[in-house]
Amino acid sequence: MSSPNNFIGIANLPNQRHKIVSRKGAHFTIMVVGESGAGKTTFINTLFAALMREYQNEEKRFQKQLERTVEIEIIRAEIEEKGFNVQLTIIDTPGFGDYVNNSDCWVPIVEFIDEQHLNYMKQERKANRRNIDDMRVHACLYFIQPTGHTLKPLDIEVMKQLGSRVNLIPVISKADTITRADLTAFKNRILDCIKFHNINVFCPPIQSDDEDTTRRNTAIANAMPYAVIGSEQDVVTPDGRRVKGRQYLWGVAEVENEEHCDFKKLRNLLIRTHMDSLISTTEEVHYEDYRANRLTKEGRTDDDPQVRKLFDAKMKEEEDALRKRFTEQVRTEESKFRKWEQELIDERDRLNKDLEAEHSAVQALKAEIEALKSPVQARSPRK
Amino acid sequence: MSAEVEQPQIPIVKKKPNCFVGFANLPNQVHRKSIKKGFQFTLMVVGESGLGKSTLINTLFNTSVYPNKEHLEAEEPPKTIKIETITTNLEENGIKLKLNVIDTPGFGDFVNNETSWKPILEEIETRFDLYLEQENKVNRKKIVDERVHACLYFIAPTGHSLKPLDIEFMKRLHHRVNLIPVIAKSDLLTEEEVAGFKARIMEDISYNKIQIYRPPIYENDDPETLQENKEIVLRMPFAVVGCDKEIEMKKKKVRGRQYPWGIIDVDNEDHCDFIKLRQMLIRTHMEELREYTNEVLYENYRSNKLIASGNEFGDGGNPLARFEEEKRAHEAKMTKMEAEMKMVFQQKVQEKKNKLMQSDADLHARHKEMKEKLVNQRRELEETKRQLESGARPGTPEKSRKGKGYFK
Ligand SMILES: Nc1nc2c(ncn2[C@@H]2O[C@H](COP(=O)(O)OP(=O)(O)O)[C@@H](O)[C@H]2O)c(=O)[nH]1
Ligand SMILES: Nc1nc2c(ncn2[C@@H]2O[C@H](COP(=O)(O)OP(=O)(O)O)[C@@H](O)[C@H]2O)c(=O)[nH]1
Ligand SMILES: [Mg+2]
Ligand SMILES: [Mg+2]
Repeated sequence: MSSPNNFIGIANLPNQRHKIVSRKGAHFTIMVVGESGAGKTTFINTLFAALMREYQNEEKRFQKQLERTVEIEIIRAEIEEKGFNVQLTIIDTPGFGDYVNNSDCWVPIVEFIDEQHLNYMKQERKANRRNIDDMRVHACLYFIQPTGHTLKPLDIEVMKQLGSRVNLIPVISKADTITRADLTAFKNRILDCIKFHNINVFCPPIQSDDEDTTRRNTAIANAMPYAVIGSEQDVVTPDGRRVKGRQYLWGVAEVENEEHCDFKKLRNLLIRTHMDSLISTTEEVHYEDYRANRLTKEGRTDDDPQVRKLFDAKMKEEEDALRKRFTEQVRTEESKFRKWEQELIDERDRLNKDLEAEHSAVQALKAEIEALKSPVQARSPRK
Repeated sequence: MSAEVEQPQIPIVKKKPNCFVGFANLPNQVHRKSIKKGFQFTLMVVGESGLGKSTLINTLFNTSVYPNKEHLEAEEPPKTIKIETITTNLEENGIKLKLNVIDTPGFGDFVNNETSWKPILEEIETRFDLYLEQENKVNRKKIVDERVHACLYFIAPTGHSLKPLDIEFMKRLHHRVNLIPVIAKSDLLTEEEVAGFKARIMEDISYNKIQIYRPPIYENDDPETLQENKEIVLRMPFAVVGCDKEIEMKKKKVRGRQYPWGIIDVDNEDHCDFIKLRQMLIRTHMEELREYTNEVLYENYRSNKLIASGNEFGDGGNPLARFEEEKRAHEAKMTKMEAEMKMVFQQKVQEKKNKLMQSDADLHARHKEMKEKLVNQRRELEETKRQLESGARPGTPEKSRKGKGYFK
């Protein structure tokens, strides 16, 4: 290779990154939430152009009201595309909103999301973290029924909860059941509602060095909530094209026709243009927020010197208390001994006195005897 | 907190989409983002002074990372190994690179260089520690990576083989940093000498089980890449020539060193391995070096450190966990202290008790003894007295004790 001297090779670095990512492949986790029958399964199978998820077994419908819980179903698939490997995880939530009373039906979903963050956190702390199992949700699609009205209270509650934890992407399913004009009005009402309730939704980064990209990103961002048509069926249009779509007597609703729905924009957002952005937002914002919150709750702070000071003070305090306790014990014991010693002294004095008395008696006797031995001397003082 | 992470085992099914979904675009997305974010690399240079380290860095990055030596002529040789970091911001075709070069002046320059590797290993590990500390923070949005991603080790062009210092250094550092040995100032050796020298160096390296950085081989590499990497490996250790000044050669400006017998052109692959070194270090493997540092060298260092500190199951470096640990140690210490104090205390109490009981017993025993003596004496005296009174001859009376107190 004989490149000019002044070319260093720094300009190759993005290509090196490209190569590394191509080699490593990617993990991508997508979650779908919405009432049953909203078209979640159909959408997933349409998006990934494969039967990722079996359709619901209608036999199970009788058990439903009894179970009264939202199930969380995980599908893991490996997809290879042009030599690029993706470990895809799809999280479906059948049973959501199926009950008469659906208050708190979102709790298991939210718990699941948090649990994935916690699991990652625990694994990340380990000494060996070579095989981390990562199921952090990168994108959460919330399916809004094409009622044409506005968001239902349940939608608002759930979206609020989801939006504070993951990249939330609102989707209007079955866009073929709503006319263009109605759809525009519906979308606007939904956007107003999202704004009014401060619901956090994923906004793709728009600014780019290249004008075309910026324009495309703007179009994607403005299409939210994404109205989609789901279908795995290949149908033939009146003008003879084979497309994925829904065949009606009055025409064909095409999945990949931008005039008919926002499927392509949503696919761009999810995969073709903003998948990396979804992944990094999840890792750098949602996960970091979760982790920081959790650690703070555990009592952690980065303000180490402060904690250290308190900690050291507490340790010293405990040691001092122990010493003090012993000093007191020693003191009481000492005073007991002192009393005992005093008693001994008293006893000694008593005994001394006793002996002295005896001694005096002896001395007196001796004197008497002396006197008896020398009667002259002895008798005179007596008489 | 439980250390085990339980994840349900979910079977992975292979799926083949029946049309292009677009996943294969992800590398392009990352490519685009990386341009926006820019790059960062930390390179360390080690070798005796005067081997051309600064010159080679300038030549590699075609920039005056190190200002011209002329001004710094009167520099005093350092007494200890210093660690000097210079940061340079480079840009090429809109791609930004923040380059940190760490020089270690003093290495190998002393009479005794036995521990020359030490401050350098410490520097590398300190940088790992710094990263680990940041990783464990609650808020880590501003994490900076100052880990050493590669170390160029300059071998003096002796033409013999590796010196003990070279071997010692490489053995001590190869598990902590991507080692790239280079033969400095290879223009001092003939082509033949270089070949022999390289062969002996590689023998020394493999004999001493030193791990030097080699371009990794991946199964999906295309034949062109494989060939390129093979050629790179064949040239190791790179025999380099540094020169940051251009000279005129055949009406063309070249970076080279002019001798009466000719000009050595740095950028000529027939003259030296500079091109191959730059190829690997910058053009094809700079990001790979970072990956390997992050995923293998750093991870190994981190897990060894955590295991050694009994922190295998996480909470590693968590200050609170550290406190927990210290607290446990402290409690153990307190328990021990308490037990010891108690033992000493009880022992002392017992001793004192025994002593007092002994005194008490002694006191009474002695009292009894004396009392008995006195009583006996008295009885004898009374007897004598009686006899005397009744006219009988008395016996010799006993001498009585003097003094007031009988016990002290
Ligand atoms: N009209 C219309 N029907 C759809 C669309 N997507 C799915 N469906 C139908 O809606 C029903 C429920 O779909 P399914 O994907 O099982 O919904 P899920 O319960 O949310 O998984 C099925 O009969 C689908 O054929 C769509 O885009 N338009
Ligand atoms: N012959 C020869 N001299 C060199 C080479 N590289 C640098 N020098 C010279 O060696 C001297 C020391 O170079 P310098 O880069 O300051 O060495 P450092 O102390 O290792 O940083 C300078 O006079 C350079 O011109 C080389 O490849 N060949
Ligand atoms: Mg379903
Ligand atoms: Mg220098």
